[in-house]
Amino acid sequence: MPLILAGVGCILLFGKRDRFESFLVGARQGLETAVHLLPTLCALIVGISMLNASGAVEWLSKLLSPIFGLIGVPEEILPFLLTRPFSGSASTASFVELLENVGADSFAGLCASVIFATSDTMVYIISVYFSSVGIKHSRSAFPIATAVMLFCIFFSCFLCRLWFF
Amino acid sequence: MLGKIFGTFCTLSLLFGILCGKLTDVAAAIPDGAAKAVEVTLTLLGMMCLWSGVLQVLSDAGVIQKIARTFAPFLRHVFPKAYKTGEGYEEICATLSANFLGVGNAATPFALCAMKKMQGHNPHPESADNEQVTLAVLSTASLTLVPANLLALRRAAGSQNPFSIMIPVWITSILCVSFALFLTSFLRIRERFSHTRASKKHD
Repeated sequence: MPLILAGVGCILLFGKRDRFESFLVGARQGLETAVHLLPTLCALIVGISMLNASGAVEWLSKLLSPIFGLIGVPEEILPFLLTRPFSGSASTASFVELLENVGADSFAGLCASVIFATSDTMVYIISVYFSSVGIKHSRSAFPIATAVMLFCIFFSCFLCRLWFF
Repeated sequence: MLGKIFGTFCTLSLLFGILCGKLTDVAAAIPDGAAKAVEVTLTLLGMMCLWSGVLQVLSDAGVIQKIARTFAPFLRHVFPKAYKTGEGYEEICATLSANFLGVGNAATPFALCAMKKMQGHNPHPESADNEQVTLAVLSTASLTLVPANLLALRRAAGSQNPFSIMIPVWITSILCVSFALFLTSFLRIRERFSHTRASKKHD
């Protein structure tokens, strides 16, 4: 990040034309977009906080662990998997907790690490991207992103088993 | 779409709150969540200002155009409309580069700029067009060179070798992105198919 900013600094310092005007134009547009996101984020984050507090995640983990066990996904990582699509902070918290409980170099810890790096907060990203321009129908975005995420989970565990054990 | 997500979350939390006896926690989570939304917006506000400004400078100075030209042989096929019209194509390149370099925080502002410009060429503004879907899906399965965040967390958790997961991460990442591209390519095929059918009807 500092590298990119230094590059921009060089452009501002040594460029032939004054570019700071462009920076201000861009920043103003960014400001506008960000302000319009608050209503969406408000609903989304309230919903996610409520769901996290309600104990639904623990309950669903228990329910789903036999199914995921069948395809080779360790059951310890389920609470992390269930929060991953919705919230960056909640899934980071459960990732850290998981590493502390089972160890960063255990099978479950390694699987979770690979998933942590290769997946992202899908529901959050799609909602924010689309609502920022007033799109109401996301069409196939959720099914495709879910399929990719499931593939990512399955393949990470499969590869970790091959790679480390 | 968001209404359904929000509705599901609310009903589920009430249900599980009653079942698990955590109704007071759920009630407490509501004001906390609302406050957190403001917090996130404030963080995003600063980031959006900074990176949108940076993007504008880089784009005016012609740096983004150079990156865009390098990616063109590949991205031309994934985002044909954005490439042809030029609207949003540079921002798409910036988004993907930011993800690749592990500057995920900068990727969101870039992607939002791209969405805005692509929306200008969206024939049905209420629903996402194929390229908008593709960009969103690619952002959820992004290719990352160095996941600095993950390495820091692993080291903090006392890993013997935090870097041991790097190669599996790359392999998984490449496969996930390929799978995402494979699935979104069906969207383009279907679009082309419906175009030819529509033009046949016209004849």
